[in-house]
Amino acid sequence: MSSLHKSRIAEFQDILSEPKITPQKLRELCFSGIPFEGGLRCLCWKILLNYLPVERALWSSLLKKQRELYAQFLKEMIIQPGIAKANLGVSREDVTLEDHPLNPNPDSRWNTYFKDNEVLLQIDKDVRRLYPDMAFFQRPTEYPCLLILDPQNEFETLRKRVEQTTLKSQTVARNRSGVTNVSSPLKTSAPHSLSEYEVLPNGCEAHWEVVERILFIYAKLNPGIAYVQGMNEIVGPLYYTFATDTNSDWKEHAEADTFFCFTNLMSEIRDNFIKSLDDSQCGITYKMEKVYSTLKEKDMELYMKLQEQNIKPQFFAFRWLTLLLSQEFLLPDVIRIWDSLFADDSRFDFLLLVCCAMLTLIRDQLLEGDFTLNMRLLQDYPISDVHLILKKAKDLQDSK
Amino acid sequence: MAKKTYDLLFKLLLIGDSGVGKTCVLFRFSDDAFNTTFISTIGIDFKIKTVELQGKKIKLQIWDTAGQERFHTITTSYYRGAMGIMLVYDITNAKSFENISKWLRNIDEHANEDVERMLLGNKCDMEDKRVVPKAKGEQIAREHGIRFFETSAKANINIEKAFLTLAEDILRKTPVKEPNSENVDISSGGGVTGWKSKCC
Repeated sequence: MSSLHKSRIAEFQDILSEPKITPQKLRELCFSGIPFEGGLRCLCWKILLNYLPVERALWSSLLKKQRELYAQFLKEMIIQPGIAKANLGVSREDVTLEDHPLNPNPDSRWNTYFKDNEVLLQIDKDVRRLYPDMAFFQRPTEYPCLLILDPQNEFETLRKRVEQTTLKSQTVARNRSGVTNVSSPLKTSAPHSLSEYEVLPNGCEAHWEVVERILFIYAKLNPGIAYVQGMNEIVGPLYYTFATDTNSDWKEHAEADTFFCFTNLMSEIRDNFIKSLDDSQCGITYKMEKVYSTLKEKDMELYMKLQEQNIKPQFFAFRWLTLLLSQEFLLPDVIRIWDSLFADDSRFDFLLLVCCAMLTLIRDQLLEGDFTLNMRLLQDYPISDVHLILKKAKDLQDSK
Repeated sequence: MAKKTYDLLFKLLLIGDSGVGKTCVLFRFSDDAFNTTFISTIGIDFKIKTVELQGKKIKLQIWDTAGQERFHTITTSYYRGAMGIMLVYDITNAKSFENISKWLRNIDEHANEDVERMLLGNKCDMEDKRVVPKAKGEQIAREHGIRFFETSAKANINIEKAFLTLAEDILRKTPVKEPNSENVDISSGGGVTGWKSKCC
């Protein structure tokens, strides 16, 4: 380790060990990248995302409270509504005269259960394909959720629910005269229906299953937005960072901590995910236009070129902005970009500048290229050196 | 101006529920490969493939859209100006088939009137998991007067055929232009986008 890096770590430790952390000082330091060592990044992100307060003395009680709260969410939203396992001897309290699977009342618990399953299937589809180039999310976590995996439990896990739901939708077929055929359950083997992805043995959970649970709880607690594709790409880097913390006391609680940090982060960027806000002042369309109006200020020639070729910001900036660039770079680079984004004072304004920087850094190619070539450049961004990009973005910010 | 390497430019669009395999269908056609581990498409993606039909070099500009409802405001803006739309469902997913009529309505509302439509029932290699009979696909296609293929991006069934057929159908409707007419206006169907094929 270089002495420069060592002194940088020391700087972080100094700031973080103060009884009352100065947010401005911390932001400034984090903006140029947070060291991974000693769990510094995890700690800084938790402070920057307003999960941990600046008074260190409050941490332990707050963490205890929040982690208990998360356990409570799991109980309320996964454990209680789950159907009792159909084991012999287990009475089915969930099927009563008042409420049963065929209850047409929209407020019925069963109705909610079936609606939740739709959301769950959508989440499931997406989290299974989270960072397919990396083994991490397919690997088992060291800290499977004991509350969920306890063999004494008599409820249905999310994994079982997905299997059951896909099984149901696969075996019932209706012929043209309206007769429903249920094919023999012996013929279909549900676990294999998802065979492209390995399912770990009982008692083990892959990291993607933890991410799935976080998203499901979020969807349940925020029914107005529920789950939108792309949220998986926002949880991914957060969870990865917390679940690889060098400090095992923190790592053990990666799930709950990620949930709250994700919720806080979403409170700032959720408008991007809401369709009805698309054309409002806070929606994604406005932000995409902002990227172009900023570009116009900084590089008129390039702006004119993109206009002339009718390359709209929707073609690339939609993804850049909604996913905070998480699909454009490799995970370690995404995380480095997020250090700066989270540390930015007027958070995510800097994101617009990063997008602008990405455009101006390939301006010569863009000015040369035709529509097709340029679309390829923008959809498969050619520069992987994120430091270069962040430096350029900072220059743009300073040149105001 | 650089020499143009094609005679015509067709803009195509892939739509359908999320997870039916739109990206895989496109990837099979553009790169002749299959990948089970595609991340979900957010917003819109884009590929190019040049094919030769009736002695003409045709550049296909194919747009791949996100399937989830949320993205519709973003994706419907591409409908206008599209000359061909492929509507994809998954033969192992009944819901994706039920939604066909919703997608067709979307086309009616947002696309050019004379757009060529095509229905694809994808994942036809998974016969043991099939819930949508081929006859049902054929029936709905017949009702709407559009072409229909069952495809498999994985087993490479009918993918190329589907794209080429769609391109041929568009070609048939395209007014014959002088071979040296430099700019091909792909928005000739009344579209607003009108990307001009400048130097390529």
